[in-house]
Amino acid sequence: MATESVRRANVLWIAAGAAGLACALASLAVALGPGEFTTFAARTPALATLVGLGLFGAGVASAFGSPGRRTGGLFLIAGAIWFAPVWVGWSDGPPVIRALGALAVPFLVPVVVHLVSTYPGGRARTAATRAILGLLYATAALSAAAHALFRDPLRDTNCWDNCTTNPLLVHPSPALVQAMDVMDRWVAAGAGIVLVALCVRRLRTATGPGRRAVWPVAAGGVVVGSMFVAHSVALANGPERPVEPVFRWIYVALAVGMIIVSAAPVLAWVRTRTQQRAVGRIVAELGEAPDVGSVQAALSRVVGDPALTIAYWVPSSSRFVDAQGQAVAEPRERPGGSVTALARDGRTLAVISHAAPTDDVVRELGAAVRLALENERLQAEALSRAEDIRASRARIVETGDAERRRLERDLHDGAQQGVLALSYRLRLAWAAAKADGDDRGAALLADATDQAIGVLAELRGLAHGIFPAILTEAGLGPALATLVDSAPIVVEANVALDDRLPAPVETAAYVVVSEAVDDAASRGATHAEVAAELAGDRLLIRIDDDGAPRGPAMPRSADRVGALGGVVRPEPGMLRVEIPCE
Amino acid sequence: MLTRQGIVRLLQDAGVDVVGESEDGEGLLADVGRTKPDVAIVDIRMPPTHTDEGLVAAQRIMTEHPDTGVLVLSHYVEPGYAMRLIEEHPERVGYLLKERVFDVAILVDALRRIVDGETVIDPTIVSRLLGRRRRDDPVESLTDREREVLGLVAEGMSNQGIADRLFVTERTVEAHISAIFHKLGLAESPDQHRRVLAVLTFLRT
Repeated sequence: MATESVRRANVLWIAAGAAGLACALASLAVALGPGEFTTFAARTPALATLVGLGLFGAGVASAFGSPGRRTGGLFLIAGAIWFAPVWVGWSDGPPVIRALGALAVPFLVPVVVHLVSTYPGGRARTAATRAILGLLYATAALSAAAHALFRDPLRDTNCWDNCTTNPLLVHPSPALVQAMDVMDRWVAAGAGIVLVALCVRRLRTATGPGRRAVWPVAAGGVVVGSMFVAHSVALANGPERPVEPVFRWIYVALAVGMIIVSAAPVLAWVRTRTQQRAVGRIVAELGEAPDVGSVQAALSRVVGDPALTIAYWVPSSSRFVDAQGQAVAEPRERPGGSVTALARDGRTLAVISHAAPTDDVVRELGAAVRLALENERLQAEALSRAEDIRASRARIVETGDAERRRLERDLHDGAQQGVLALSYRLRLAWAAAKADGDDRGAALLADATDQAIGVLAELRGLAHGIFPAILTEAGLGPALATLVDSAPIVVEANVALDDRLPAPVETAAYVVVSEAVDDAASRGATHAEVAAELAGDRLLIRIDDDGAPRGPAMPRSADRVGALGGVVRPEPGMLRVEIPCE
Repeated sequence: MLTRQGIVRLLQDAGVDVVGESEDGEGLLADVGRTKPDVAIVDIRMPPTHTDEGLVAAQRIMTEHPDTGVLVLSHYVEPGYAMRLIEEHPERVGYLLKERVFDVAILVDALRRIVDGETVIDPTIVSRLLGRRRRDDPVESLTDREREVLGLVAEGMSNQGIADRLFVTERTVEAHISAIFHKLGLAESPDQHRRVLAVLTFLRT
């Protein structure tokens, strides 16, 4: 990442926060100073300042935390607008300042709806949200412009908040201004209802980590939206000069709602720090050789998202794998979720998929976690390479087997049938010679027939050695029974298999037993026992014999079993083999 | 196929009436249903997959046409196949290696035995089972003559057939069989067909 521009942006945001603070302090100073104030904002300076500072703080926290810069900006703008009524209500203040304040006030509704409805992304995701926000901004601009240009406070008999000269006035038009007031009330009421509905829906649909990130904003949004409605209703039905206590309560409730909304990024920041420490602690406890997948497990537990997954990027094969080295699809953003790419020196290391909007704990992992993650990525890469090699071995073995099966069939259907046909012809010739009284010819033909039959027996043995047909046709059990029939030593087979297994597994098992029996015989064994059974999805084979101690492992078996991801374990007087049957 | 033509010719020369020939299992079953032969000779490998269609066809013939015997010809010295054949229908059935039938006398003899209700198991298969190594092998305790008789029993021969082969009386054969079954710890079955399966099963385990 370009740290230089990051630093400059940080300075800008700190400056913006400082400006907000100055603005808040100035408002406080004005409100605490001498003079008359007409708005509640100015009459309750402590509350107004608290809310404003909260919004500015939330803006800065958002900009540096997971909600991001857009949301941070909205918080800052909301904070600035929040102070506008103080300036509007400053009876002794310069009319220009009061007029500027009045220009800003109508934008509170659209900015707050924007902020709450798009939190934490700050970007409207649906066309409906964009349309609503556009309408709100447009009506706010219209109302602000109309009030600034056409409102003459001196001709407004109901004027209560800002009744000094309007320096921006172009042409007084009380009817237009009154129509704008009516429009403002309807729009604010509508916006309030939409906001409440949106927030309630988000509270109901969000789950797990997403809910934790969103609830303060949504809950505060319900309060704020309700107050928008209440304010509009009170204005429509209320007394002519809205200085009654009901407006005070609405103002206080609105302020409380805004404080709850502002708490969201701060809570997120605190939660992130806590979680980072927790992840760091867990990773530290894992030690130097953590189990495969432990980083994902630790993150998932701390963040409280069981669906969290980490996909590691393997540059050599240009694909993503999980911690076990198994290829996985490229992580894509799901509705309500997020994907975070972790990079170092511009190279992607891993991508974390998360069921909630981006979480800081995921984005800003501590150094220890990053190290563990990088280790795990290296391990995953090694595992994926090993898996590639295993798959390639399996393909080689399978191709070899297919070739042997084909050879066996060719021998059977070709050479064996041919020699058989030849033998028949020799037999017929023999019969003819005998009928003709040609004893010498008959004797030669009888010899030839015997020879042909000898060739047939040899061909049969050869074909069986190349690939036992019974293995494909009847399965492992019958094939092992045949193997036992012709074994050079006593073999007791105990094969408990009801169903056929995948062809590569049956072949591997057959080769293992065949090689083990030959090996036992070569070590002087007189007796061997073979047991094969299915345990779950693994074929377990155990071969015991009474021969001399076992030599080096049998290469053919190790190759075949290894190609299927199984293991051959030689133990004293015993061989254990495990083959997964997928 | 050359072998089928060869067999047909051998059989016709030996005075056997060949009533039909078929390429595959379906055709064979139709032929058997139409001509009701005494015996059907079936190749273990037939179209379409050339695996065990022959065994399947043989079993269907025995089930659907119990009056017709079946002789399966095979390239495989597989006791498993032979036993699969006789397990369900131990009567009027045979399993012979293809080269065995060069000797037309053996082929015709096998057909006769099947017609007479006997079972026919190829001697190569029997000798492989007899030669199989066992722990504390009770077969070792048999005399040479008894082993010979045991082999003939496993080949499916009747007591009379064994007597004729060994030039002894049927009584002698019965005495031998009684001794063999006693030494092997087998229950003597009055049913000659079942005893083939019993002996083969014993030899295989």
